[in-house]
Amino acid sequence: MAQRIVIDPITRIEGHLRIEAEIKNGKVTDVYSSGTMVRGIETIVKGRDPRDVWAFVGRVCGVCTTVHSLASVRAVEDALDIHIPANAELVRNIMFATQYMHDHVVHFYHLHALDWVDVVSALKADPKKTSEIAQSISHWPKSSPGYFSDLQKRLTTFVESGQLGIFANGYWGHPAYKLPPEVNLIGVAHYLEALEWQKEIVKVHTIFGGKNPHPNYLVGGMACSIGIDDASAINAERLALVGQLLRDAETFVQQVYVPDLLAVAPFYLDWGAIGGGLGNFMAYGDLPTNGINDRTQLKFPAGVILDKDLSRVMEVDPRNDDEIREYISRSWYEYSVGDQEGLHPWKGETNIKYSGPKPPYEYLEVEKKYSFLKTPRWKGHAMEVGPLARVLIGYALGREDFKEIVDSTLAKLNVPAAALFSTLGRTAARGLESLLVAQWALEFYDQLISNIRNGDRRMADTSRFDPKNWPKQAQGVGMTEAPRGALAHWIVIEDQKVKNYQMVVPTTWNASPRDHNGKMSAYEASLMDTPIADPHQPVEILRTVHSFDPCLACAVHLYDQEGKHVSKVKVL
Amino acid sequence: MPPERLLILGLGNLLMGDEGLGIHVARRLAERAEFLPPGVTVEEGGTAGFQLTCFFTHYPTVILTDATLDGQPPGTIQLLQPRFSSEFPRALSTHDIGLKDLVDGLTLLGQMPELYLFAVSINDLQPMHIGLSPEIEAVLPALEAKIITLAHQLVNR
Repeated sequence: MAQRIVIDPITRIEGHLRIEAEIKNGKVTDVYSSGTMVRGIETIVKGRDPRDVWAFVGRVCGVCTTVHSLASVRAVEDALDIHIPANAELVRNIMFATQYMHDHVVHFYHLHALDWVDVVSALKADPKKTSEIAQSISHWPKSSPGYFSDLQKRLTTFVESGQLGIFANGYWGHPAYKLPPEVNLIGVAHYLEALEWQKEIVKVHTIFGGKNPHPNYLVGGMACSIGIDDASAINAERLALVGQLLRDAETFVQQVYVPDLLAVAPFYLDWGAIGGGLGNFMAYGDLPTNGINDRTQLKFPAGVILDKDLSRVMEVDPRNDDEIREYISRSWYEYSVGDQEGLHPWKGETNIKYSGPKPPYEYLEVEKKYSFLKTPRWKGHAMEVGPLARVLIGYALGREDFKEIVDSTLAKLNVPAAALFSTLGRTAARGLESLLVAQWALEFYDQLISNIRNGDRRMADTSRFDPKNWPKQAQGVGMTEAPRGALAHWIVIEDQKVKNYQMVVPTTWNASPRDHNGKMSAYEASLMDTPIADPHQPVEILRTVHSFDPCLACAVHLYDQEGKHVSKVKVL
Repeated sequence: MPPERLLILGLGNLLMGDEGLGIHVARRLAERAEFLPPGVTVEEGGTAGFQLTCFFTHYPTVILTDATLDGQPPGTIQLLQPRFSSEFPRALSTHDIGLKDLVDGLTLLGQMPELYLFAVSINDLQPMHIGLSPEIEAVLPALEAKIITLAHQLVNR
């Protein structure tokens, strides 16, 4: 007997992601991932001044803020052959690292933790034992028995007053929750500490970019002037605050985030064999140290891995007409060249043609078109992008920094490298790369301070800012690694205006519908065969989808008016 | 209470018609700052959730304005003092999840400010529309007067 379940919306914050899955004998036997909202920013920026586009596309998402603005200024700089000064590169890198630490910590604690941590169970924890466990995994000072007992009292008052609030949507008591009460209490404590911490780290964006979310960028560099004694510029006091915030962030990642990850993982090692999916991984690479065009000097290396083969990393070229193409055979669009052809983004089209059921509907017509996400392919292959892709590519290339974090974690958990290709591997990779990013952020900061001390205050190259100096026609691509994965924007400039603009975002790679050959993308592939204990409480599906950190606002909640996941179960 | 410790915060999505009324109110109050106690801060919170943490922890008292889809006649104004997210009116528009997570988190941390919420009933969200319907436009002067009066009461207590 098969059952079809619908989870809509599936994310806790932005966007509209819907999963329809068929369950047979306690396992997922078929699955469809759909983005039910249109993005359409590509159409809005057509005909505009290319120097303004970063401000529009930045608004695609308020969670992974900065990433689209960065991709956009890079695309314009690439088209116009503009090379930014070293300081601008360092400031962009520091803001990139800030975004990663903020996004990964918030994802782990606020968007993903409740798939693993049972809040109600934390009420039964012994504060003294909790303290012993906390002190055995980390030097983090907030770990006394009194600290945990105070928190437990507040949590008890909260729950007893019938106010589950933020925790109201969990499937508490579900057999898939395996943590002892003490580890659950640590999880809840750090959920709250992370809430306090995240408001501090984003101050880095406000210092360099004027505001957060959506800090300011500039084609040619960054719009922040350095003036050590100038009250209105980036002065010594503000630089000192940036240094302090980055050091605090490194401490939080090292002493809270990663120890928690390693404390939770041993209870869920079965998830090291679930949710693997495609086995194909792609990263564009990022964090340049010698200009974005020197692809050999990136902290996050670029590359492609096929079929889990870590012995071979292939190159990816977003300019090559034959490599990256977007298909719409299962998406609610039409192409001038017909539904079966793929288009390289420089020739890309955004012509919406909705042909799905009229809302409100019960099920999507999954045998036809079923998503507002297009389906991108690399040389015809579906690709997973994100933290796991980045970490695997660094690891497969033999980079020492990646090998060290991966090998030490595999040893600590006593699992083989094959466990990386899983839901657990994806969630772990996000934490492990945060360790690297936290260290790199301080390297970039030290280099910036050193440049300023040596008298280099250049922050922008404005020699080509004036459109009079532009060619009649130009095209460029801006690549970056958003926290969720490989992101690129393609721009065609003609007569000083945007002629065409296409964004291929990480969640499009991961959450897209099947392609013209019927092949699944990353979400769908990773959900196949997932064990489901109770179709009415499909926490297992949420675990794997959340492990990708879905952000559907940028790719194209499922909450009803009461704030609950809409999940429907129907016997077929 | 020193006026520097009071925040007037308008919430909403400006691109969804009446849903953005909190933003319209914040802008109008900022233009009429002479009617408010000097030193009171007025901010637009937009659709932010966790990003409002710094405002909620910095100001001990916050007056919020937001739209609600609670089925009451459009333009109905309620003054609420919610202590938990569940005491917010139903479907506090489209940005409520981040805000509710924040409210509960701060409550558990013991850092929730004293909160006054002006919830204004609206009929519908109007996607991709900037501006207010006549029913909502008509109640804004009364709403502004209520906010200004409450601000003076709080500062003078």
